[in-house]
Order: sequence, then structure tokens, then C-alpha cells
Amino acid sequence: MSDEQTSSAVEATQRQVRVQLMSKQEDIALPENTGPILVPTGLRRYALSTLVNNLLSSEKPIPFEFLINGTFLRTSIDEYLTANGISSETTLEIEYVRALIPPLHIASFEHDDWVSATDVLSEASPAASWASGAKFSKGQERILSGSYDGLLRIWNMSSEIVATSIGPSDGGHTSSIKAAKFVSPNQIASAGLDRTVRLWKYTEDASDFTGKITPQLELYGHKSGIESLAVHASSNRLLTGSSDNNVGFWSTKKADAPAAPETLLPSSSARNVKRRKLNATVSVSTPQRGPLALMSGHTGTVSAAIFDAKDSTVGYSASWDHSLRTWDLVTAALVDTRTTSHSLLSLEHLPEHNLLAAGTAARHITLIDPRASATTVAAMTLRGHTNAVVSLARDPHSAYGLISGSHDGTCRIWDIRSTKTDKDGVVGESVYSITRKSLEEEGKAESKRVGGEGVKVFSVCWDPTVGIVSAGEDKRIQINRGEGVLSSQ
Amino acid sequence: MVARNASKKRKAVTRDVEEEAGVFSGDELSPENLDGTLSDNDNDLSESEDGSDSEIELIDDFSDEDDDEEEELDSDEIPSDDEDEQKQKQTVKRSNADEPNVRIVKDANGNDRYLYDEIIPDDNSDYSEAEENANTIGDIPLTFYDQYPHIGYDINGKKIMRPAKGEALDALLDSIEIPKGWTGLTDPSTGKPLNLSQSELELLKKVQMNEITSEGYDQYEPLVEYFSGKQEIMPLSAAPEPKRRFVPSKHEAKRVMKIVKAIREGRILPYRPPEEREEKDDTVVNFDLWADEVERKDHIMHIPAPKLPPPGYEESYHPPPEYLPDKKERKEWEQTDPEDREKEFLPNDYGSLRRVPGFENFIKEKFERCLDLYLAPRVRRSKLNIDPESLLPKLPSPEELKPFPTTCATVFRGHKGRVRSLAVDPTGIWLATGGDDGTVRVWELLTGRQLWSIKLSDEDAVNVVSWRPGKDHIVLAAACGDDLYLSVPPIADPEIEKASLELVDAGWGYAANAPALNTVEAKKANKPVQWIRPSSALADAGVSVVIPLRYVPKSISWHRRGDYFVTVCSGASTPASVAISIHTISKHLTQFPFRRRLKGGGPPQTAHFHPSKPILFVANQRSIRAYDLSRQLLVKILQPGARWISSFDIHPTSSTASGGDNIIIGSYDRRLLWHDLDLSPRPYKTLRYHRKAIRAVKFHPGGRYPLFADASDDGSIQIFHGSVTGDMLSNATIVPLKVLKGHKVTGELGVLDIDWHPREAWCVSAGADGTCRLWM
Repeated sequence: MSDEQTSSAVEATQRQVRVQLMSKQEDIALPENTGPILVPTGLRRYALSTLVNNLLSSEKPIPFEFLINGTFLRTSIDEYLTANGISSETTLEIEYVRALIPPLHIASFEHDDWVSATDVLSEASPAASWASGAKFSKGQERILSGSYDGLLRIWNMSSEIVATSIGPSDGGHTSSIKAAKFVSPNQIASAGLDRTVRLWKYTEDASDFTGKITPQLELYGHKSGIESLAVHASSNRLLTGSSDNNVGFWSTKKADAPAAPETLLPSSSARNVKRRKLNATVSVSTPQRGPLALMSGHTGTVSAAIFDAKDSTVGYSASWDHSLRTWDLVTAALVDTRTTSHSLLSLEHLPEHNLLAAGTAARHITLIDPRASATTVAAMTLRGHTNAVVSLARDPHSAYGLISGSHDGTCRIWDIRSTKTDKDGVVGESVYSITRKSLEEEGKAESKRVGGEGVKVFSVCWDPTVGIVSAGEDKRIQINRGEGVLSSQ
Repeated sequence: MVARNASKKRKAVTRDVEEEAGVFSGDELSPENLDGTLSDNDNDLSESEDGSDSEIELIDDFSDEDDDEEEELDSDEIPSDDEDEQKQKQTVKRSNADEPNVRIVKDANGNDRYLYDEIIPDDNSDYSEAEENANTIGDIPLTFYDQYPHIGYDINGKKIMRPAKGEALDALLDSIEIPKGWTGLTDPSTGKPLNLSQSELELLKKVQMNEITSEGYDQYEPLVEYFSGKQEIMPLSAAPEPKRRFVPSKHEAKRVMKIVKAIREGRILPYRPPEEREEKDDTVVNFDLWADEVERKDHIMHIPAPKLPPPGYEESYHPPPEYLPDKKERKEWEQTDPEDREKEFLPNDYGSLRRVPGFENFIKEKFERCLDLYLAPRVRRSKLNIDPESLLPKLPSPEELKPFPTTCATVFRGHKGRVRSLAVDPTGIWLATGGDDGTVRVWELLTGRQLWSIKLSDEDAVNVVSWRPGKDHIVLAAACGDDLYLSVPPIADPEIEKASLELVDAGWGYAANAPALNTVEAKKANKPVQWIRPSSALADAGVSVVIPLRYVPKSISWHRRGDYFVTVCSGASTPASVAISIHTISKHLTQFPFRRRLKGGGPPQTAHFHPSKPILFVANQRSIRAYDLSRQLLVKILQPGARWISSFDIHPTSSTASGGDNIIIGSYDRRLLWHDLDLSPRPYKTLRYHRKAIRAVKFHPGGRYPLFADASDDGSIQIFHGSVTGDMLSNATIVPLKVLKGHKVTGELGVLDIDWHPREAWCVSAGADGTCRLWM
């Protein structure tokens, strides 16, 4: 028996397979004339990586990952061939990509209260690309944070607060902020539990150390707290999801927007009238406007609403009622409903694959094909989180990358190529997991918090220059960056 | 004499020293002194003569010294007449008395040399000295010397002369006057007449008298009891164990080796070789009748005899005493007819197996058994072959019944002290909690963020919080101390807030406008309850109405339309007439529908409205009664069998689905009971999975998920699947799904309350450890 095994093992190491190595990236591509190579089938990722580095004769070895038929090679080639029933006589096409390097903690910005939202303004961020007038200059990256204390803060990279928004008495958010985004380098949108979307003008002094956030527009329409906010600046449109089960569609232009519904203004509340009188009413000159459309259809809290990454007239929304809905924003009509089996808490569009990634309360991320022609609802499931997945962001460097922030206190990086087929369908595992620095500083990095108490991640943002920015219950914004993470098609 | 002695000694000593000298020279070559004496040795080899000279000198030295010593010793030993000797003797004696018997003298090399006195053997010593004038001729007969004038030689070789023989007259005289001790014999060794001494005479006399000859022998001396019963403290001998006890015996080894050798050489064989069997006698032919027999199958009607049961304790020869019959039983057994006896025998204790007598009934018993087997008609019974697994009810596996809460998703921390009650609002976004610190708090359900908090009382705990059903209004009812508070938390948008405030405040006018009805009601109830406005501090915080009840309400349950709610003051001291009260929001009216105490089962505990029918369920400690509100009569009494009901819940859709109601009841005696009202007043299922009291039970509202949960003082929550079908014939399926652990048991209390999310399969629990948890 053991003899057989050893002999087969010997055979395996001696057996060779013809492989064609290739890469889609120019800088690490092999010379044209490199034909198929015979390699022993016992090789694993590391050995293959060394081989490619030798072929490239690169000075500094680059770690590579290997994809065969769209799946990462996690075993030896031999085991892969056996598992997939491929003859070793065929020529194997292996694509190699740069391996992700674990993201390292760069900095943490401490706040007074829980941080619920974060966004990045950098050269490569969408807000900068939408900049119409002011050109964004490199080295002036800004990080926006929205906090549960109702304040927006803008940080520079040296962890200094450049600007803070005004408090509730001066016309700021009267309750916690739940979502905040840069519209352009000069404009910020924020929304929160006070049921308003607010647009702010952001100006910076030449000295770079002081900025000012001044209210520009207040948008009323939602009847309950707003959970998410999406921005499409080139068309001046906002999309919000609220716990009143509606998706709000707004304009950032004062002139475009209709008047605000009278009943929803804070002045209409009987109790608040009284309080206002007592407080010697603040004089607010901020214009108030209403929504372009309130799209109803969901039966639960709309936890996320996003624009289609390619087509700004299409919106997607995910809700606690287990459904994912596609909206035609021109007519404000419901196009399609996809029902899953779990509450959806976050949403991100992966345009290259026509997939929508939705984080669920059931601790996983499900990838949904929103097209009407799609036969199955869930194309893939990414498992690994231990609590609700409340935030998702695309990898700016790779069409396959994704990052998720969860209430379990971790951010996880996923590669949708790294999958295996399970009894539950196609299942993926995370590539890296980023824990909260605050836990490590307390010396409890290993200990697991029940329900992610104190370390819940509420928002995550992945920027090519700044890195991975995540905000959470530990009152911090945490920046992680992985050197070398930053490339692969 | 002395000089001769000295010369004799000298000789002896010289000889001794010569021997010693040999030893000495040998000593010189001993390896220990080799290093130091190597050169000397060389000298010795080269100048052998010198070496021998020195040797001789040494000998002389020794001999001289020894000489002196010997003289002194001699003088000590043998008394002499010389003056000097005498003096020396005295000095020696003195030295013996005062000083140790050692002298230090200088040897040839000038080193100290210790000289010890010679040891004087005393009378007990074996050392015997020959008599001075003894005849030394040995065993030669004296007749050899008859011709000579001497009769032998003394030790110095001098002739011992024959004593002169007396005259015959002398002999005659001697014979007449016999001296004492005369024998008439001649001593052959000396030739003198042998006379007996006085002591010898006495000895002879004793021999004659048959006495024991030795001196001082007491025939009757007291007996020394060596081997008495008394135990002596000290051992008889303190001698150490001899070495032979520890070393293996050589003798034995020798003998063993002898045997081993014999075995090896084959002289001893381990066993006797089998003797050759005698050759078969070819003349006798044996036939094996069964040589080619094959085993046959049993006959189809073959029934094997039943096996005798194995013997029990009472059949033992030495049974435990409880199996032995007492006198009465024995008598009874003996008196009954052998046919009627229950047992064939009486247990008997024989103590040991060798005392057991022969069994006299052996033949009889065997015969009877054979007879029994032969005569007894036996029946062939076909055995039922049932898989025990198939008898178990077919329950679906928990995997198939997903979703249900499995993990803790959020911890709500903020209450100081126990959290007594909690409720998820009808929209499923907020969670209201009330605890021992007198505060009511509203939290964001998913994130665990506290949105609103109000302190209702400094002393009293908030016993129960409950949201008004319906999504159009936000009204939170809370019971704190004796008072009920209706509040509108400032978390909703102005429209809903306005509507809610209007709803709550609408009754003020009604109460003012319709006093007539109120007084009638009040008279009925004996104690009118006035709804009052809260203090300004509470009003600013969001409280709209305060209902002072005078007794502590422990349960609030809303009617599904949201206009009524029922409260129960379960305290033992509460009068029965005011224990249960129904409050109408639109009229700001409190009514007490029960005037008399519920019969049996103690004070009321909790009450719920039926989710769809106009029925009010009221639970007291041991039973649950259902009252039809429209007809005002008792519909049903449930007797769950629990000793003290803590809570119950009504299945939200079962009556619409199957026409019958299903109720779950949790009790302080650890039982969770499922009642199907169609079946019987007794429980359909009793689930006893908790180790401590069950505090709360709850069905998932709305009926989207067939789930229910219970919360217990052991700190755990158990989630069950309980589906009710529309089919009247099939009963409810109950599957235990999950035990949720996380709450710490604080002061014997674990989880105090539980609630479900209205739409999701999420549940929230309130713990005595001051936390609430969301499970999803």
C-alpha cells in the first residue's frame, strides 16, 4: 500500500505537463517567443512563482498567483489535474497575476464618536474625476468622515482635521450621520438619521491647513433615517436608501430640485415648534428642496442604493426585505426584483462581470447577476465574515477585487476568482482580513468580541493612492495599505 | 634467672626483628613511596652493601629498644626480688593507673614512635603457661626411666631427679597415721606419694553425696523467664545483618549451575518424552458409523428449547442476607403445598462452597424439565422486526429549517443593572429596553447605537416596555413602579410624530367631555384611575401620558388594533379587582374587567389579547383562561400542569390557518409547554430542556417564520421551530433548533425577556447582566 503511494508520488514528481504561462499585464509579460514549458506536475504556487521570476529575470522577485481556467491554483498542479480530470498531456494555460500582499496599517484617526461613513478624495477617486472647475492636485488627499455625533470632518493624510461641519444648532445635521460622500473636490453630500440629505460646499485655504464646510442645500423627503448615499456628480444626481423603505433620487442642483414637502420640514413638528420657540429659533438660510423621485417598492429598510457604474440612469437598491431591485432612474420605475433569502445590508457593482455584490445579515456576501436573462439569482457566495456585512467597495486596481466591512470588526479582501464549488454553489474565501488596530492596541488582537462589540466596521472605502480606509465603532478611521496590492489589470 | 630470661627474650626479639626487617625492606619498595624513594633505590642498587649495612643498623636499633621494653614488660609480668625491678614495677603500675598504656619514643629517624604495653592475659584467657618444673617426657611410660636416677626432664632440659624413697618403717608409719588426703598411690609424674588436696576431697565428698560438684551452684535459683508473654521493648540482639544475607549464595549458585549443566548436557529432561503408543492391532476392524455424516438442517418445525434463565442471587450458596428468608417466611414456605409454592427452594446460606450438600432433587428436577419440554406445547411466534429508528417522529434537520438566529450580532450595553424588558418596534428598526436603573432606552437595532433614553424613576425599575402595534404611529408604553407611561420617542419623522402625539393626546378631551360615563365606570371599579399629564421634564423628554395604577404592573399587552392594552399587576398584595386593567387610549380610560379573584391558581400573572379574535387570555399561576370579550363569558380553561406560569404567547396565525389556537407557556418550574386548544386542556407537548426557570416565551410575530423562543434563568435562549399546518389532521411540528448562549448569569438570573424582529428571523434578548443582545 505504502509502496504504491510512494511509487505514485515518485511518478507524480517525475510526471511533467506542458504549460503555457501568460499574463495580461504588459510589465510582467513573458517574451513573445516563450513557448510551452514542460514542468513537473508536483509544482505548487511558490515553485511556479520562482520559475516565472527566473524567466522574467526580474531583479526583485515578485510574488505571483496562478490562475487556471479562472481559479487560483491552491494545490499542486498534479492535484489540480486530478481534481478536474484533466489529462497531463494537454497544454495547460496558466495565467499569472501579481499576488496581493497583506495590507499594513498606516494610520488611525481618532474621533469623538462612532464613525459611520468615510470617503476619500484623491487624484484617482471618482470625486476628483468629476471635478469640473477646480483641478485636483496630487498630494492633497483628503479623507471625509461622517460621525454619529452629527459632524462631518475632513482630514489630511497627516491625521489633522482640516475642516469640521457645523453643529445642529447652527444648521448642521440634527442627528447621526450615516452616509457621507465627496461629490466633487468642492462639494460634499451627507445623510443621516435626521432624514435629510445635506449638500455642503467645501473650500480650502491656500495654506492647506484650514478648510470650511458650509451648508449649501438641505433635501427633505425621507420619512425615516437615511442609510446610504450614492453620488453621480457628472449628472448631478444622488441616490439614497432609507429605512422608510423608499429609494430617494435627488438632484444636487438647487434649481433642478422641486420644493421640499412642507410636512416633513422640522418646523412642522408640533413638539419641535415649541422647542424652537424656547431655543430662540436659529436663523437658517439654507435652501430646502425635495426629491426628484421617491421610489417605493421595497417592504423593508433600504440599506443601500447605488448607481450602475456604467450607466447613470440605472440604479440598484438592496433592502432588508431580502430583495435587490433595479430602477430606471429616468422614469423612476422599478425594472426588476431579485429576491434572495437573506436581508441585504450593502451593495456594490462589479461592472466588468455584470455582477452586484451584496452583503447580507447572514454573514456572507452574495454576488447577484441583475440582468433579466440571468438564470440564477446568486452567482457566488463569499463566506468568512462572522457578522453582518454592512459595507462593500471595489478594488480600484482589479476588476476581481472587492473589500467588505463587517460588524464583526474586520475588513476582508476578496478575489472573486479564488473560488471553489461547494454544495451551496460557488463559494469564495477571503484573501486577507484586516482587523481593527484599536483591538491590537488594547492587546486583545486575538480575543474575539462577541457581536463585534466596540469594533464594528460601518464603512469602508478603497482608494488607489490612499489605500483602504475603514471607519467603525471604535471611533476611528483606519487606513491600511498593501504595497504591491496595487496592480493587476 | 633474670639474665637467662633476658637473653631468651633477646633472642626471640632478634628473630622477630629480622622478620620485620624483611617487611620493612619490602615496604620501602612499595609503590606509594616510589616517587620519593626512587633515588634511594638507585643507591641501593649501586651500593648494595651500604644498603645492607643500614639495614643491619636499623635492626640493631630496633633490637635495643625492644630489649628495654621487653625487660620492663617482663618485670611487670613476673615478680622479681630485685630492687630496681621493684621500682620499675611501681612506676609501671603508676603509669598504668594514671596514664594511657602508651609511650612515645624517638626512632632512628627522630620521628615519634608509639610503644604500647603488652596486653596481659588474665585468667579467662586461653593462654596457658607450662608449669616450670613439669616433666616434659611426653607420652613415654615412666618405666623407661626405672633404671635411671631421674624420671624425666623439665622444660629447660634439666633432669628431674627421682625423689628419694623412704624406709619401709616410714611407710608403715605413714600407713598407721594416714594423713589427710592420703591415697597410697604414687604420682607417676613426680614419683612422690599422691595426696589429695582439701578441695579435691570436698569434691569427692560431693560426688559421694550425689551433689553437684561445682561450687556455688544453686539448684533452686529463681527462674528467668526468657520466653514470657511480655513483650520486651528492646530487641534481643542489635547485631547488624550479616553480609551473607545480601550476597547471593555461592552454594546455591553452584547447585543451580549443576542443574543447568545437567539440563544442557541432556541428563535432565524437562518432561518425559511421550511414550510410543502401541501399534494398532490390524486384526481388529473399527467401523466409524458417522464418518460420512453431514450436518442436516433443523426441521422446519424445529423449535429450540427455551433457555433457562440464569441463576439469581437467591440461588447462590451464600446469598446476601436480604435474600435469606426469615422465620416467618420459612414457616410459610414449609406450610404451603409444594404445588403452590412460588419458589421451588428456599435460599440457604452455607457460608462456603465446601459446606454445600449434594442436591438431592437433581434427578427429579431434570426429569421434570425433560417432561416439561416433552409435554409442553410450544407456539411459534413470528417476531416483529421493527427498526427502532423508524418509531421516532420524522423531524426535519435544523439545516433545512433555516433561517433562524444562530449568532450574536450586536450587544447593547448601557443599562446599569438588569434589563427587565425589551421590545422591537413594529417597523423593525428600533429596540426599546427598560431596566432596573429606571430608564427606558431606544436603540438602533442593527448597530447597537443608543438613540434615546429617558429616566422615568430614580428608585423603581422599569418592569416592562411595549410598542404600540402599527407602523403609522410610534407609541411606547412602559411600566415603571406603580405608573404606566405612554411616550412618543423623538426618533421618527415629523409626520408620524405628529400623528402619534395626536393619537395619545386625543383622549384628554374625551375624558373631560364624558364625565358621566367615567363616573359610572369608576364606581364599578371602586377606584377611579385618572390619566394625568407628566411633569414638564418628562414631557420634554417625550412622555405624553402617565397612568397611576397604585399597584405595580408587571405585564403589558396590546390589542392588535392598538387602541387597547391590558396590564396585569401580579403582586400578591394586589386586590383581585384591580389586578387586571384594560386601558383605552382614545378615551384615556382605565377599566377593571375582573371584580372577583380567579378561582384556583393564585394571582393573575400575565394577559394577552388574541391576535385576531376578541378573546382575552389571562394566566394565573397554574391555569390560563380564555374570555370572549364580546359575549363576556369564559370560553376555555387550560391546565398546563405547570406550578407557576411565567409567561405565555399565542400563535399569531394558527387560528386563521387551522381554526384552532396554539399557545406556548413558559413556567418557573423549567417547562415549556405547547398547547393545542383543539386537542385538550392538557399540553400537547412538554419541552423540558432548561436547567432553570423559564422567564419568557415568544412566537415569531406575523407568522412569516414558524419560530418560537424561550429565555431562561440559566442564561440561555432556545430557538424552536414550531410549524402549524392548515390540515386539521396533522399536529404541530416542534423541532429544537438552537441554544443561544452569551448572557452571563447574574444573581441567579439569566435572560429576562425576549422578543422577535417583526419580519426577520432575528431575536433580541434582555439579560440580567445589563446587556441586550441581537441574535441573527
